[in-house]
Amino acid sequence: MTFLHPLALVGLAAAAVPALLHLLERQVPPEAEFPPLRYLSEAERQSARRLKLRHLLLLILRTTLIAVLVLAAARPLVSARSSAASLHEPTALVVILDNSVSSGLVVDGHPTLDRLRGMARASLGRATASDRLWLMLADGVARAGTREALLATLDGVAVSPRRLDLTAAVRVAARLVDGQPLAAREVHVLSDLQRTALGPGRASAPRGVRVLALAPQSQAASNRGVGVTRVADGALALSVVGTPNSRAGAVTLRIRDREVARALAAPGSAVSITLPPLGPGWWVGEATLDPDELRADDRRLVVWRVAPPARVTALPGAGAFVDAALAVLREGQRVQTGSDVVIGDRVEGGGRFTLVVPPADPALLGQMNRSLAARGIGEGRRGRGETSSAAGEGGGGRWRFGSSGTPGHLAATAVPGIAGIQVTRRYRIETTTGDGAGGTAVDSAVLATVNGEPWLVREGTVMLIGSRLDTGWTALPASPAFVPFVDALVNRLARGEAPVVEAEGAPRVEFRTRGADTLGATVYGVDPAESDLTAASPALVRDVLGADVLDGASWTGASFAGAGRRDLSTLLLALALFLALVELGVATRTH
Amino acid sequence: MADKQRIDLLDPAEVARFGGIEIVAQGVVEGFLTGIHRSPFRGFSVEFTEHRAYQPGDEPRYLDWKILARADRLFVKQFEQETNLRAMILVDASRSMAWRGAPGRLTKRAYADRLAAALALILLRQRDATGLITFDETVREVVPARVKAGQWARLVRGLVDTPDGRGTAAHAALVRLTSLLVRRGLAVLVSDLLFDRDLALTALRYLRHRGHQVIVLHLMDPAEAELSGPPEVRFRDPESVASVVVRPRELARAYKATVLREIGAWRTACRRHGIAYHHILTDMPFGTALRLLA
Repeated sequence: MTFLHPLALVGLAAAAVPALLHLLERQVPPEAEFPPLRYLSEAERQSARRLKLRHLLLLILRTTLIAVLVLAAARPLVSARSSAASLHEPTALVVILDNSVSSGLVVDGHPTLDRLRGMARASLGRATASDRLWLMLADGVARAGTREALLATLDGVAVSPRRLDLTAAVRVAARLVDGQPLAAREVHVLSDLQRTALGPGRASAPRGVRVLALAPQSQAASNRGVGVTRVADGALALSVVGTPNSRAGAVTLRIRDREVARALAAPGSAVSITLPPLGPGWWVGEATLDPDELRADDRRLVVWRVAPPARVTALPGAGAFVDAALAVLREGQRVQTGSDVVIGDRVEGGGRFTLVVPPADPALLGQMNRSLAARGIGEGRRGRGETSSAAGEGGGGRWRFGSSGTPGHLAATAVPGIAGIQVTRRYRIETTTGDGAGGTAVDSAVLATVNGEPWLVREGTVMLIGSRLDTGWTALPASPAFVPFVDALVNRLARGEAPVVEAEGAPRVEFRTRGADTLGATVYGVDPAESDLTAASPALVRDVLGADVLDGASWTGASFAGAGRRDLSTLLLALALFLALVELGVATRTH
Repeated sequence: MADKQRIDLLDPAEVARFGGIEIVAQGVVEGFLTGIHRSPFRGFSVEFTEHRAYQPGDEPRYLDWKILARADRLFVKQFEQETNLRAMILVDASRSMAWRGAPGRLTKRAYADRLAAALALILLRQRDATGLITFDETVREVVPARVKAGQWARLVRGLVDTPDGRGTAAHAALVRLTSLLVRRGLAVLVSDLLFDRDLALTALRYLRHRGHQVIVLHLMDPAEAELSGPPEVRFRDPESVASVVVRPRELARAYKATVLREIGAWRTACRRHGIAYHHILTDMPFGTALRLLA
């Protein structure tokens, strides 16, 4: 038994009041003469036993009455099997409603989300004003609010295109409730408990935090979804994901609403679809699968750019490794010989785009910087309507080579594959204003860094590399990423083109433009991991989330401190009323 | 309307404010005899002895019609036995009799004195020899039974001169009474009867055995019949050191039952031995109390 207001139990001391009054009242009775004392003595002798019993009964009744009233004021709670109308200890509760893509799975004609929302509603509906509540959805944000506010939020919850990492969500939720000074702390996980929803590691809920997870309603449904798509060498490489052992389904590729190809694939397999000849420019295609119970992953967009190979000239100072890489690219028709892009250790005026590596002789560094200044890097191209990049804006920065920098590892997001590669020798790339580390205005032009300092920058038509592309300066030329790096440099980065980025969200494409030029695109789609509907086993859920996996029937009884608790105050008040009536009867009869 | 003017029917406490015992007793007797149409006591026998003036309450059949015809005056005939009645009134003067339950009431002793005086006046007016014994632990005052003039004044003085005593010993007074009542007569005991009932009954039974007519007037203050008071009180016996702490409201019912049982015991015992018993509360009008004796 617990109490909602345990401090009220201090009032139990008042139970001694009847006994104290009894003792105080008996101390100094007034005296009076009364001749028929013999009658009185006789009456008392005959009534003594009865009166003593009545006095004792009244004392017990009054003491019990006060004790019962104090107990009722303390709001005692006892375990109750039927918890629909019961109360519970003040509880900090986070309800995690997994409304990720997989919650859109239709089971028996109803989306899984409806069932999960119903259980979330039941959990929140049992909350009282003494509880602290949060609702966490697939976006991972814990929304605090009153019961009514969160119930209203629940009403508006729809299937989200985002994926929820249950492990991380439970970890956050458990820490959140653990910090609350309340008697009970619980996390209710209402999810389809996809195996893929369990992220790395363990949630490791703190001691005293109960994590309850709703067991999946049924066995994993078969499902197919379009996974990773990539366009390379005139073909679309596409993988089909989903619940293992699901049947194969037809994949259809449409370009501009025209079906251009069809293939058959099962989850776990990949297909390659040859694209028809397409003119230069950005193209958007749509890969779709035959409909199944989960529609959200049956469609995925794909974006690619059709462009002629860059025409590249490597100056003698570019180094042998650059020559070798260009030869490979030239053989693969990724580049041609020409002067659109010039790579070298001096600034040439003939190329449209220039990639500059530092000269091997440090004595030529000053001449290089003067040439860069004379080229007017950053002027003329700046402010032409680049929408996403802030390159060159506001900093007035003309890049130049500075002093030697410390060795370190490459860090880059715009150039895939080169992160972590050792750089043993380099020059710092600084702005002419001396902002060597690069201010915020310069950051957008910094494509790779070493120890936080710019290593690869672009401003206008010129790109500067802090190290010569030689194994004496960096391990990059000896790594497998070198040829793709040079490919990206000459075909994409030199022209200011951003890579096609995939992001989580409702299927759509957002292009990145600068003026009239399209620089890149972001393709939104659902996480392929959502397509595998295989449910995690209860043992795995227990191990990773530390949760008790409960079915719908036992959920209500187990939630809120393990059991519903019934408030005994009403019963005690009824008992107090009964005692008061008995006391009144006994006292009246006595008087 | 007429009844309201008769002081024998007024509240005893109010009547007591009219004057001393003599005045009150006379007033009570006058009112009492006015309201009654025959003598309350027997005593008329077969042998005529003398005439006396008619008094209200005398039975009309004893009127001497010849004297009425000749002299137009009312006389009644008295007989031998009537003049031979000897009545002794025993008044309890113990400490317990000096108690009253409320300031507006007479003490039991004051009520007993006035009732005894009135009763004596009635008896003496009927030419019955009337005497008085007052007692507490011992016999305090004795006025032998006489019928001569001034007897009533002596009786009243005897009552007035007897102070409130301490304990009660009716047995001794009753034994003394047997020596004073040589011939068969009337004995009237006025007391609250707060003494040993068996001893008192033994003496009363003895009187009865000697052929006396015995009347017991059991006086009781209304507060003695119904127990009341503060929530808790220590009651002390005025005649002893005994005391008891009680809660009157708790004990009221049991006390009342005990009192009724005690009254019933007295009544039953007296009836069994041919003794007249009357229970009188001190707020009862004197006329009503006297009527009990008629």
